[in-house]
Order: sequence, then C-alpha cells, then structure tokens
Amino acid sequence: MTGTSLKDHPSNKNKNPDKGFVAILGWSLAAIDAIDRFDRRYVIVAPAWAEEFANANNIPYIPWNFERLNDRSMEIAKTLKEAGVDVAIPLFEETVEWAGAINSVLLDQPRIYGQALLFRDKALMKRRAQLGGIRVGIFEEAHDKDDVIRFLKRVNQTLLKLEGDPNDPIHMKAFDKAGCLGHRVIRTPEDVYNIPDNEFPALLESHLDGWEFAVEAWIHNGKIRFLNISEYVTLGYSVFVPATPELEKYRAQITQEIEKLIKAFDIDFGFIHPEYFVTNDGVMYFGEVAYRPPGFKVFELLERSYGFNAYQGLVLSFDPKTTDEEITAFFPKEVVDAKGYAGCFGVYPRRRVVSNLEIPPETEQHPYFEFHELQQPLENKVTKRTAFGTHWGLVYFFGDDSHQLRDLLKAQEDLDYYI
Amino acid sequence: MVAEPTVTTRSPRHQLEIQLDNAIARLDEARSFAKPALSGRVLDICKRALMSADSVDLVYDRIAALERSGIFDGSDWATPEILQPLLAANTLRMGNRHTVILECLSQLRFLAVARGDYFHPSVSSEHAQHFLSQVLALNLNLLFDSFGEAEREREAGLNEIARVVYLHLVEHIGYENIFDRVVDEVWRILAQRPIQVDTVKTVITQIAVCMANPEMGTPRGGDRLVSALFNPSHGCREDPGFDAYMQRLQAMDEHAFQQEAGAFARAMHDTGLVSVYHTVFLRDINERRPDLLPAALGLSSTGREVLLCYQPLIQALIDKAIFPETAQGVYGLATLLERGILYHPAMAPALWRQLALPLSDATSEALTRAFGNAHPAHVYLLAGVLNTLGQPLGVGQGNNPTCQAARAISMWSYNDPDYLLQVVAWAARDNEVVMHFEGQPVSSRQAVEGLAKGGVLDVDPVSLVVAPHLDRIYMAMGQLCMERGEDPHRRINPEFHGWWVGRGFHIAVDVASGLLSEYETFLRYFYASYHPYYNGNQPVIHPQPAGIAVTNSAGRFVGWHAITLLRVALDQEDMMRAYFFNPNNDSGQDWGDDVIVSTSGHGERFGEASLPVQQFASRLYLFHYDSLEPGSPEKVPEEDIATIVAMARATWASER
Repeated sequence: MTGTSLKDHPSNKNKNPDKGFVAILGWSLAAIDAIDRFDRRYVIVAPAWAEEFANANNIPYIPWNFERLNDRSMEIAKTLKEAGVDVAIPLFEETVEWAGAINSVLLDQPRIYGQALLFRDKALMKRRAQLGGIRVGIFEEAHDKDDVIRFLKRVNQTLLKLEGDPNDPIHMKAFDKAGCLGHRVIRTPEDVYNIPDNEFPALLESHLDGWEFAVEAWIHNGKIRFLNISEYVTLGYSVFVPATPELEKYRAQITQEIEKLIKAFDIDFGFIHPEYFVTNDGVMYFGEVAYRPPGFKVFELLERSYGFNAYQGLVLSFDPKTTDEEITAFFPKEVVDAKGYAGCFGVYPRRRVVSNLEIPPETEQHPYFEFHELQQPLENKVTKRTAFGTHWGLVYFFGDDSHQLRDLLKAQEDLDYYI
Repeated sequence: MVAEPTVTTRSPRHQLEIQLDNAIARLDEARSFAKPALSGRVLDICKRALMSADSVDLVYDRIAALERSGIFDGSDWATPEILQPLLAANTLRMGNRHTVILECLSQLRFLAVARGDYFHPSVSSEHAQHFLSQVLALNLNLLFDSFGEAEREREAGLNEIARVVYLHLVEHIGYENIFDRVVDEVWRILAQRPIQVDTVKTVITQIAVCMANPEMGTPRGGDRLVSALFNPSHGCREDPGFDAYMQRLQAMDEHAFQQEAGAFARAMHDTGLVSVYHTVFLRDINERRPDLLPAALGLSSTGREVLLCYQPLIQALIDKAIFPETAQGVYGLATLLERGILYHPAMAPALWRQLALPLSDATSEALTRAFGNAHPAHVYLLAGVLNTLGQPLGVGQGNNPTCQAARAISMWSYNDPDYLLQVVAWAARDNEVVMHFEGQPVSSRQAVEGLAKGGVLDVDPVSLVVAPHLDRIYMAMGQLCMERGEDPHRRINPEFHGWWVGRGFHIAVDVASGLLSEYETFLRYFYASYHPYYNGNQPVIHPQPAGIAVTNSAGRFVGWHAITLLRVALDQEDMMRAYFFNPNNDSGQDWGDDVIVSTSGHGERFGEASLPVQQFASRLYLFHYDSLEPGSPEKVPEEDIATIVAMARATWASER
C-alpha cells in the first residue's frame, strides 16, 4: 500500500480531516477497535503476522518488525512521513524507542529520541529523575551475581543489621522490560545463585517499606489533562481505580510529583505511567516511569469506571492538532465523575498440579464480580514461578465501595481458581 | 477533603442489571473484529443472571439488544432459522461453558419471538413455538433434575442454568400443554411417514421416561407411541431384552406365534415405527416360518401376492438388510411390497444387483461415519434402499440446501424406481454419476462445488450416497445454461429428472428483474394444464417438478423452493386440492395469510402435503406442462384469477 492511499483507506473515510493522522506502533485489538471508532485517521504499524487479519478486517496497516533499532529505522519514519502521519504512538515497551525515533523525524525535534532512550533504560531513568530533584531509593547497576551480593550486603549494613538478622530484601529489575517482567525480590545469597546469567545487566534497588501505587497521566502542551491513581492491593496481583480515599488524599502531592517528572524529562505531550512509593511519613519515592499504556488492563478499568475510552484519550494527548477545548471536554473530572470502582485480579495457580479451571463460588456469586478471561489449563503441571512471572488471566470486578473492592481483591489471593 | 465518586449503593439485582447493560453496550459498539474478545464477558454476566429464576427476566428483556450487539455473530446461532431442536436440546445438556450460555440465550430468544415480544426477521412466532416445544420435549428429563454422568462432570453452574432456563421456558409455554403437545407433534410428524425418525424416537424415549413418573400422568396417544417402539407384542410386553425374547420365541406355540406377527404388524402400520423386537422376530421366522412373513409385515392381498412371486429375493433382503440397527427397513420392505413395483421387470434383477453391490471406499466411509459400524456399510445402504423405495414421499433433505436432489430421489422412487437403483449403483460403487445435458455428458466428478459444501447431513442412507452427486450435477447443468437469459430450470428439469417432465414451461416472474410478468397468463395455463375442470378432467399422469415462492407465517417471502406436484383432486369435502411432495423434512407449514399446508385429514396419502388449489396457485411461481395438451386457459373464470393474484400480491409478490 502506498503512502497516499493510507489516508484515503476506507476506514479513514468519515474522519475529521482537520485533525491529526496517527500511527499506532504495536498490535492491540482493544486499541484498534477504540481508535477505529474515534474521529482521527490512523494506521497500525505491526509485525507481518498481523497483515492477513488487518486486510481481512479493513484495518489500515503497515508491516514492520520492531527489533532493535538499526540502520533501516529511518525507512519507517520516512514511510510514515510520506503517508502524511503527524505522530506515532507506542503501545508497548518495545515500541517506545521506535516512537521516539519516528517522532523526532515527524515533528523535527531530535531531542524526542533522546527522551525515549531515558524511558527505555531504568538506570538512566533514575539518574535523570534524581537530577530533576525527585526522590529515589538507593540503586545500582549490576553486571553479574557478585554485584548483586555486594549490593544486598551493603544495603543491609546500612540498615545496621547484625549477622544472622533476616535481610531486608532488594529488588532486581531488567533495564528495559515492562512491568513485572524480570522483576525479582532477593533476600538471601541463595536467591542470587538462582538468577540465570542471561538476566544481566540489571538494575538493583533497595526495598522501600511503604505503599506502592501507579499513576496514569495524559499530557498535552506540557500540562496534565487527566491524572489517575491506580491502587495496588498486592503488587503483581491486583489493581483498582480510582484509589481509596486514603490514597486519594495524596492527590495534590502526587500531582506536584508528576509535574516535576514532566519537567525533568521535558515531556510536552503523550502519556506516562510512573510508579511511586509513599512511605508512612508521607514521603514520595519515584520508582520508574513508562511512556506507554500500563499493563493489567488499567485502560479497561478506567473505561469501566469513568466511561471514557483511554485509547482515544491517548490519541488526543499525542495529536499535535488537538485543541485545549477538545481535550478538556474529552476527559471527565477525576474521582468525582467515576461511576464506581473497577478492579482486576491476576490469577496464578496455587497448586503444583492442576487439572481444572473452577471459579470459586464465593467469587462468582459476589455482586462485584463481572467476568474473567481465564482458560482451561493446557498442562496439568504448573511451572514454578521465577521472578514475578505472568498471571494466567484476569478476573474483573466492579462495585460501589472502594474498601469492599480492595478486601475482595485481597481475598482472591487465598482462593484456588485452578484445582 | 478527599473527593469520592458520587455512587449510591445498589441492590445485587440492580448491580447485575448495570453490569449487563454495560457489557452489552461495550460489545455493541465494538467493531466486528473486536467482538470475539468481548462476547465472553457478556456471556459470563448472562450466566450469573441465568443462575437464578428471579433474574432470568433480566436477560429475557435484553434479548433483542443482545442479538443486535453481535453475541451470536460467527456462530450457528446467528442463523436461528437453521437451528435444529435435537442439537439445541443436546447442547443444553452437554455443551461447555459458552455454548451452553449461548444456547440458553438462543432459546430465550425463541421464547421472546414466540410470545410476540421480539419481532425477528428470520423466525416467525409459530416456528419459534414449534422449535421450543420440540426442545422442551427432548429434554423432559430436566423437569426431574435427572442429569447423567457426563453432565455432572461439567463446570459448576452449567446444569443449574440449563435447568433454570428450561423451567422458565416450560412456565411460559405452559406446563400442562407440553406433554400433550409433544405427543400430538410426534403423531403429526409420523403421519407424514418420514424415512428419518431418529429425532422422533428420541422424543418417544423421553415420553416413556416421563410416563414412568406417576406425577406426569399419561398423555393422549402417548401409550401407543411408546409401545410401538418398546413393547408392541405380548412376547416383549415388559421390554425384556433381545436374549430373553429370543428364548421366548423358541418356546412359543402356534397361536402365540400368529399373535406376535399380527401385533408387530399393527404397531408398525399404526405409527410407521418399527420396534427392534420386530426385527428379531422377522429374522427368526425368515428362517423357521417364512409362511408367517405376510402376517408379520401386515401385507394386504397385493403385498402378499408380490411376496409369494419373489419369495427368494424378499428372504434374501430380510437376511441381508434387517437388523435391530436397521429396524425401519421392515416398514420400507412392507410398503415396497404393497406398492407392487416389483412387478416392473427391471426391479427384481436390480435389487439382486443391490444385494451384491460392492461399495467404493468413499461410500463405505460416509455410511459408517453416519450410521456406525455395527454392520458393514452395505447393510445400511440396502436397508435405506428398501425405505426409499417403500416411502418415496418420506425422503427429506435433512439439514442441507439440497431440495433439488431430495426431490429427484423421491420422484424416481415414485415414478422410475429401477432408474433410482441404477443411480444408487453408480454413486455407491463407482463414486460417479453421469447424466446428459442436451447431449453433453455431465459428470458428478467435475470440479463444481454443490450447494451442500462439505457433504450432506442428517439424511437417509440413499440420500447420503446419492444427493452429493446430484447436487453437483445440478449445479454443473446450471452453469451450462447460465448465460441464456432465461430461467435455467426450464432446460435442466426435464434433462435432470426424466423424459416425463413437460417441455412446456411457465414462470411467473421476469428472470432479469424478478418482477411479476404475465402473471395472469401463467395462472390460466396452470389451471388449464392441471385443474380437472379446465383440462378435460385429466388426472396428473406423471409427477411434475414445480417451484414455490415460500413465505413465512407472516406472509413474507423466504425463498424459492423445489417441490413435486403429484395430484389435483377433490377432497372429502369436495374442495379441489393440489397434492404435492415437499422435500423439506416437515411439510406441515404455515405460509401466512391463512395458507396452512395440510399433511393429513384432507385426503393426503402418507408424505403428501396439500392445499386448496387456489392457495397452492398463489404460491406457485414455476411449472412444467405438456404444450401439446394445452387445455382451455380461456375458460378459467376471471374471479378465480383475480383472487389468486390478490393473494400473491398480498404476500411474496408485494414488491414485484
């Protein structure tokens, strides 16, 4: 398909010609569905395996394999520029630096590429935040297991632990993976020996005792247009929106933190998804930030709770032709406009051998339960979880009381979905 | 102060309502490619609503919205008009998570259509009623909460919702009505003497189970159905099993033997059903007492004469074709003898060929797949041949778009039975049928795809073997005359069915535009060719293919359909009626505007459908006639023509 015809693709008819033409980097049916129903012209840039489906369903599409950036990278930027694309939007961690590279060409702003590289490297990211006057925990880069042992010892020495006292844990994260992928909690030297060599280099962080939460912020013209606080019940298991009043009371403080982040990273437009700790005495520590939609279907939860489509919001926040009035009208008012609390729980099998999916009756009969996306197990034996691993599917809840929802999500951790 | 959402506490029912509406709205707005990922969540929420009798109405009230949102898209449920009650009943009991919920939704949809709460473009309320009574009949055991092992193994909740929905349907269709209605329904179907009776037998088995429950009582006419299948004679009164019955036979005296023969024959001719005990008895007397065969088959003097003339052939047919698994073959044999067609010189030798016919691998496989491997494939085909020859009007097209092929098989059995046996031999042995179209050979092996893609389903053995060939040949002939700008049936029907199909031809619509064209002339010629008052009192000599504009009970056009015109004659009330064969499995249909096709009670022979001739003419759109015998078109009264034109204009021709 040639560049000019993409703008005239049947799915781009009846769109607003005065608004931007966006390229979506990555394949997500939920995103495509939302954007196809929105008023912006679009094209999906995704690997070749998506081609058949895209053509069969009349989805404007350009094939591209997002491996590491290489000398062909300029080619996709040029193709999109010729097609008249105004801006590229990354959907997944792997496409963030591609979006940076492409947007630096489309918008003729070379610094955007540099900014993207900060988002892709967790160590660089922390240093940049630190330079911007944002509080971060102790961190270091590790290149092998010895680095990890040294860091574990040093952190615990700092905490004045004696020989034989249980260690405070440290966290090890891959530099460039999304969310919980490659995230390990390390307490003892034995934990260190179990780390495969191919997980290095990695980022090491001290453990912060506190309340971890995430933020989703849509930014346009350097200003926050919608700020959501996602409350984790247990990291890696469950999340819900909006947060409980106990966490929402930090909203003003959190907004200031995000404004610092926008300044430190020089963010003019788009969407960020940072994670923070708030300690018992109300101090905020920055964890990390991603320049793409969060995992755990938080976009779904936001739509459930507020009724706006977060992907359409994404397009608005990236499109340079979006007006202030337009984006103000699009987003609801945080918290007060929510119709209820929406949360989801990631299921991990708790037994070593499972044969059947069975939704616990107390869950299925709970009025907050909505639906699940779990499948029957394909294998009986459950592979041992390394790091945080990936859940087997999500269970969705919706209700009118945040505490009841939180307790319900917590209770799921003690239930068997697979028996 | 910390902001909080402005939500009010909701009751569980209201909460469920909101969840349901939200999920439906989400599915509704999604593009088609995104629907599969979203429909699962709608089904999950529906399941919860269906778990309790108190909340079934939440789903029922939203059934139109659910269908509109695309919940059935991409599945068989998207075309409710082709759904089969037997499959629907089984899905309810045996399906997995999402299929059971979809089936429940589909049945609630039928209920909404039946009660007039939902106007559906492709299902009439009568069809929905009909469908539901059959589904209910097939699952009577759900009334008693009796699930088998397989069902108990299912995911939690599925049996509960199957039962909740079932009871909801029963409640609204009318608890007391079902049982009697089911029995009436079975008798109505049996009055057409279909060859395929599997569904009927399943329903009767359910009736038997219910009758064993003292609370249910005995429905009118139910006894006879059950006894015909399970205990038609004194010797098997308590359904003792084959072995016990066989022992009893050895010990019976002459009188008891005679009694058995008569009892079996009466049960069979009463119902058209054959008990498996009947086959055991028949095989036994075939060896020991062939003199009892006429009594055991319930033959009249005609049948008895034929049997005595061709006794070695008949005994060989019983020996090779009649087993408990092919019980219906007994009825086919009896009616075959009664038709007297064995006196046609080609028939006996053709049946001897059939007895020894080697089958191609493809034929054997297809037969075994459909009928099992209790016997070699040729046994099922031979038994099927007996039924097709004995019940020419019992042929049905099954769940396939192959009315042309079913009509041809029926017509040959009726009018040219040795040719049918020839076609069966070609198809079964050679896996190829060759016919000629205007001198040019047309083979069923030609690379033409028929209407029935992927084979035919739910049909008798002869149709199973022959119909796919006929289907392809019909399509190939169609391609040969596609470009001629006239209706292809005009040339194909005589070449395809036989020489007796009239070369004269009338069609009510203009082929290019589909609009009515010279409709009054069409009707005049039809009356002049077939109506005894205007054709010189000439009965129909050969069965003639004709085309019907089928309408649903609302009188709306559904499609063109192939039938056979058999007779035009007065019924017992001196009403002139057209008697015809409809290859559809059940001819008793409501075509709207008070045109209700009758299958019994108006002089119909088994398998015939009939309508007063005016009503018939009002749905006819194509017929053949002999142009050398034109009759008197000008004598047909103007009022008659005007009435028929008005009936057509009020229904299928309203926009033509």
